[in-house]
Amino acid sequence: MSYSTFNKNQINPLTEPMFFGNSVNVARYDQQKHSIFEKLIEKQISFFWRPEEVDVSRDRVDFNNLTSAEKHIFISNLKYQTLLDSVQGRSPNIALLPIVSIPELETWIETWSFFETIHSRSYTHILRNLFTDPSEVFEDIVINEEIQKRANDISQYYDDLIFYTQLWQTHGEGEIEVHGEVHNVTMRELKKKLFLCINSVNALEAIRFYVSFACTFAFAERDLMEGNSKIIRLIARDENLHLVSTQQILNLWQYGSDDPEMKEIAEELREEALAIFMKAVEQEKEWAHYLFRDGSMIGLNEEILCQYVEYIANLRMEAIGFDAPFKQRSNPLPWMNKYLVSDNVQVAPQEAEISSYLVGQIDSQVSASDLGDFDL
Amino acid sequence: MTTTFRVKVNGQHELTVDPSEGTLLEAMEAANIDTHYHCRDGFCGACRTKLVSGDVYYINEPLAFVRPGDCLPCCCVPASDLDLDH
Ligand code: FES
Ligand SMILES: [Fe+2]
Ligand SMILES: [Fe+2]
Repeated sequence: MSYSTFNKNQINPLTEPMFFGNSVNVARYDQQKHSIFEKLIEKQISFFWRPEEVDVSRDRVDFNNLTSAEKHIFISNLKYQTLLDSVQGRSPNIALLPIVSIPELETWIETWSFFETIHSRSYTHILRNLFTDPSEVFEDIVINEEIQKRANDISQYYDDLIFYTQLWQTHGEGEIEVHGEVHNVTMRELKKKLFLCINSVNALEAIRFYVSFACTFAFAERDLMEGNSKIIRLIARDENLHLVSTQQILNLWQYGSDDPEMKEIAEELREEALAIFMKAVEQEKEWAHYLFRDGSMIGLNEEILCQYVEYIANLRMEAIGFDAPFKQRSNPLPWMNKYLVSDNVQVAPQEAEISSYLVGQIDSQVSASDLGDFDL
Repeated sequence: MTTTFRVKVNGQHELTVDPSEGTLLEAMEAANIDTHYHCRDGFCGACRTKLVSGDVYYINEPLAFVRPGDCLPCCCVPASDLDLDH
C-alpha cells in the first residue's frame, strides 16, 4: 500500500521478507536478515573508482588507426554498454526501492545503482576523448534498431513491475482500470512480476556485457585502446558483484530461505525464467553478428564470440539451478580470464607504462584537426 | 609434518593436495587441469564446481551463493579427500 519514506510502525526487519513486506524505516546494519547484502555493499565500496583517474588520451591515436570495421565494433559496443548502464543506473532504484523490506538490501540496491552511474560517466569520459563532440554517438542509441531491440527486452520487465507497484500503492489490490484497460492487481501478480524482473536483470548482469567485454579485451591483447580496457576491467569487476547479488536473491527464493510464496512462484515460473535467459543469449549472438557485419577483428570472429556466449551462459545458468543448455564446456577465449581476475585490476602487467594511470588528470581538449578525416 | 588430501577431478585426475600450499583452484592449475574462473576472489561464481564427495574449508568467505553440493575452489582448500566435477 502507499509508500512511506519513514514507516512509523514498529517492525522487526529480521522477520521481514526481502520484498513486499513492511517498508524499511531505520537504516540499521548492526543486525541483518541476509548478511550477504551488507558484505556486498562493503565489497562494492572497496572497489570505488573514478573514470577520470584513468588516462584514456592515448586511445585516440589507436582509434584513428583502426579499420572501419573495427571502429564499428568499438563504437557499437560502447553504445550498447551506455544503454545497459543507463537502464541499470536508475531502474533498480525506481523498481525495487519502493518494495524492499530489509535495510541491508535497500542499501545494496542504492550502492549497486550508484556504481552503474559511475559506469555511465566512464563512457562519456571515453567518448569525449575520442570525439570533439560525441553527441552523434549518444543520439544514435535511441535510434539504432539493433540497440532498440535489446532496450525493449531489458526495460519491459522493470516497467511492468513499476507500473503494477504504482497501481498497488495508490489503489491497493483489485481490478483497476487505467485508460480503458483493466489490470488485476494482486500480491501474487506483483510477486510474479518481481520474479520475472529479477530474472531479466540477472540475465543482463550475467551475459549481456560479455560480448562487448570480449571485444575490448581482444583490442587490449593487441595493445590497443588500453585506457578503455582499463576502465572496462573496473566495470567488469563491478558487474560480477551485481550478478552475484541477483543470483543470491534468486537462490534465496528457490531455497525457501526468504518468502515461501516466492519459492512457489520460482517453481511455477521456471520455464518463463529459462526463456528470459535463453532470449538474452540469442540477442547477444545476434549482437555479435551485427558487430562483425563489416568484417572481423584480429583474434575474434562471430563464431568464437557466440561460443563464448554459450560458455558463459552455461556457467551462469547452473548458478541459478538450471542445467547447462549448451555443449560449449571449455572456454574458447582463455585470455579473457586475465582481464577478469579481481587482483589484476590494480596491478596488471600492462600498467608498467604507469602513464596510462594518472590520478585525477584528463586532457579533454581535442581540436578538429586532431581528428583528421575519419568518419563516424 | 603436513596433512595432504587426495583430490579426484572429473573422474580422471588424481591429485595430492596440501591445503597449506594454496587454493583448490591453484592445485588444479598446478596439475594442468583446464580450469574455469574469473575473479579468483569468491565473488563471481565462475569457478563453481560440483563437490561429489568430501568437505572443503573456505579460507575466504565467498560472496557468491554456494548451492548445496557445490564449492568455489578459488577460495577454499580441501578439508578431506575430495571427488570434484569441475
Ligand atoms: S573465480 Fe570467482 S568465485 Fe571463484
Ligand atoms: Fe554497469
Ligand atoms: Fe551492473
